[in-house]
Amino acid sequence: MAGTIQLAHVNTPPAQTWNYLRINDIAIEVPVPREQGAAFNRLPRIFDGIECGIGDEARDWIVASTPDARYIEVPARTTRVDPIVVDIAAERDTAADTGICVREGAEATIVIVAGAALPGEATTSALTRIIAERFSKVHIMEIIALSGSFRHLEGLGVDAAHGAHVDVRQYFLGGKTVAAGFAANLAGDDATVELSCRYLVGTGETLDINHIVRARGRNTREDMAVSGMLADGSTKTLRETIDLIHGAKGSQGNEAETVLIAGENIRNKTLPVILCDEDDVAGNHGATIGAISPEQLAYLQVRGLSEDEAVALFARSIFDDALIHAPEAISAAAVAQRAEAVLGIEASRDSLEALGTDFFGGV
Amino acid sequence: MARTHVQDINRSLYDFVMPEVDAERYADGLTPAIVRAISEKKHEPAWMLEMRLEALERYHTMQMPANWGPSTKGLDLNHISTYVAPNAKRTNSWDDVPADIKETFERLGIPEAERETLAGVGAQYDSEIVYHNMRESVADQGVIYTTIEDALADPELEPVVRKHFGTLIPMTEHKFSALHYAVWSGSSFVYVPAGVTLPFPLQSYFRLNAQGAGQFEHTLIIVEEGGNLHFIEGCSAPKYNVANLHAGAVEIFVGSGAHMRYSTIENWSKNMFNLNTKRATVGADAHMEWVSGSFGSHVSYLYPSTILAGDNSDCEFTGITFAGATQDLDTGCKVTMNGKNTNASVNTKSISKDGGINTFRSSVIIGPRAENARASVSCQSLMLDDMSRSDTIPAMDVRCAGASVGHEATIGRIADETVFYLMSRGCSEGEARTMVVNGFANPISKELPMEYAVEMNNLIKLEMEGAIG
Repeated sequence: MAGTIQLAHVNTPPAQTWNYLRINDIAIEVPVPREQGAAFNRLPRIFDGIECGIGDEARDWIVASTPDARYIEVPARTTRVDPIVVDIAAERDTAADTGICVREGAEATIVIVAGAALPGEATTSALTRIIAERFSKVHIMEIIALSGSFRHLEGLGVDAAHGAHVDVRQYFLGGKTVAAGFAANLAGDDATVELSCRYLVGTGETLDINHIVRARGRNTREDMAVSGMLADGSTKTLRETIDLIHGAKGSQGNEAETVLIAGENIRNKTLPVILCDEDDVAGNHGATIGAISPEQLAYLQVRGLSEDEAVALFARSIFDDALIHAPEAISAAAVAQRAEAVLGIEASRDSLEALGTDFFGGV
Repeated sequence: MARTHVQDINRSLYDFVMPEVDAERYADGLTPAIVRAISEKKHEPAWMLEMRLEALERYHTMQMPANWGPSTKGLDLNHISTYVAPNAKRTNSWDDVPADIKETFERLGIPEAERETLAGVGAQYDSEIVYHNMRESVADQGVIYTTIEDALADPELEPVVRKHFGTLIPMTEHKFSALHYAVWSGSSFVYVPAGVTLPFPLQSYFRLNAQGAGQFEHTLIIVEEGGNLHFIEGCSAPKYNVANLHAGAVEIFVGSGAHMRYSTIENWSKNMFNLNTKRATVGADAHMEWVSGSFGSHVSYLYPSTILAGDNSDCEFTGITFAGATQDLDTGCKVTMNGKNTNASVNTKSISKDGGINTFRSSVIIGPRAENARASVSCQSLMLDDMSRSDTIPAMDVRCAGASVGHEATIGRIADETVFYLMSRGCSEGEARTMVVNGFANPISKELPMEYAVEMNNLIKLEMEGAIG
């Protein structure tokens, strides 16, 4: 690749382990950024301190790769009806740097979509930093539905104040190499974050995820559920960290992961970490990694489904879930387009009809 | 909020110092001359000296990991003597052991345990084994329990040692494995012939009495096809104000259909840097079991590792770690599953108090050919105050479609609801909290071989009856 640099430590978790496992980070080759050496801040300086999970090196690269940043403010005690959409599907090597401030008591939906299906290779990226003020509600939908030749870097960071609630839905549906970081700083008491992440990693694809939730306030609540499916020759790494910081009394953190291995030559790496510097807290993690059991297969076969059909059903369920929760047309179109590529036109349209999805004026 | 107060482990049994009378102590620091002197004193074959010198070179070029693990600040090899030999010859009679050393092991209960429950005992004092004995009935079955030094001097055993020594834990593993191979001294060599089951365990006890010294014993165990062995390792040291170092190595070869249990009670003093490495490779249809209690040390890096190489092999790791004031204990295990239908079960508990730091670190790797491999990892941590810390860092790497891994981890304190429930049934608050802490530790501590070695009773007695408030 001409004009590239390597980001050596992307998605590094707060606590690391044996280096020979090669689980502490991922190295990614990316284009040389267009704004090298820029010394000005495009966003208010307050956004600089927001951790995004992807690491400083990748964050700085995204900022330098973005022609301009976008700042959006949701006024206090208002509910923004239309979602804030970060669309990074418009052209090749697209990067987006977005800062959003959801003021006290306000509510907003934020959609981040990377759905380019252009031929050839390209690297897209998005950096979204959010300030959720007291008692605000922030709903985030991330859809990464790129074709198999695209690289994508995704950084998402949220600072949540007292009583703020953040829910995040992530769907990773395609991309040659996707590195996605998410970090939530629950700075205020009673702040909560709920994260649901679903993925489908196709043949030859690599998905690398880094989730970090830092509980600083009292009585915070953090729930992270991750589930997905790995096809032939795919690689997935999931790092999840719940950091129960001293003083976060009464806080509770839960991590759960389910992985369906549906192919050969896969590589599934998981690093679920709980860091605990406080006694009056609870941290739990559970993981189940495996293929469809013979008992489950027998059950499905009795009902007329072959193993391949059962696996296809699991894949379709992920797209269906993404479609059901897509809040507007751009994200729904990205999911539908990717579903067509993965499931085939017939199955994809069948899904759309069954779900009654009509963002596109009928299919 | 009322808190459970669990006292520290009673260390008075271990914190006694015997004077270094006529001990042969090599200069502090690490030089080729010291390595050559150790080798020369042991009359080793040339290949062992070459290995030592290569390891020394590697030690000087290798780095400690910068991105994980407890700090080893305070550990300076320039102020540690790597070889301190007591003025005693190796013997198989306690009557021939010098009085002060004999008293040390008497106070630790080793001769008594030998008489009652053990098939053989090796006792190391600083850098050398001072006592070694095995029951005749066990020796008659062809079991060999000696030191590696003696095995190297035996023309029949030397090739066996050469074939296995340093192959399971390479000197390139990490900086302190390189150090170990440079200056190892004191050892256990165990050979269990095919089909032989030992009726009682063997035990090696390591006592580091010298101040500012290191202990680098090597344990090499070979259990042939269908053999069955329980090996117990105990270790302790008195507390000094200067750093001591323990960097031992344990290599275990478990043959097809064999059964091996390795129990460790580690109760080093709180000035000890414990950087120990243990590994077992397990053949087809064989079973490996680790039971580990970690109570001492200032800093620990300890992760017994198992390679399930053969089909249908399995392993269990059961561990408990207690970290109190000034302790930073990074413990756990590693399992690599390469055989088909292999099974691994990891069950650990940790208790942190008075600012102690516990880190559970593990890795489960399931190789591409490990069809139908099953692994389960359970890690539970109890925080007894808000000064302490407990982290869990388990890694899983699955490369086989037909494998499955289950993992669960919980960190927390004693729930108020649980205490309330027990109090509603007549317990005082103190009794209720003590009961919960006991119940937390018991499933693991009952696996420790208390019945085999008297001193272990004291090691795991957590004095739950301590003041509550």
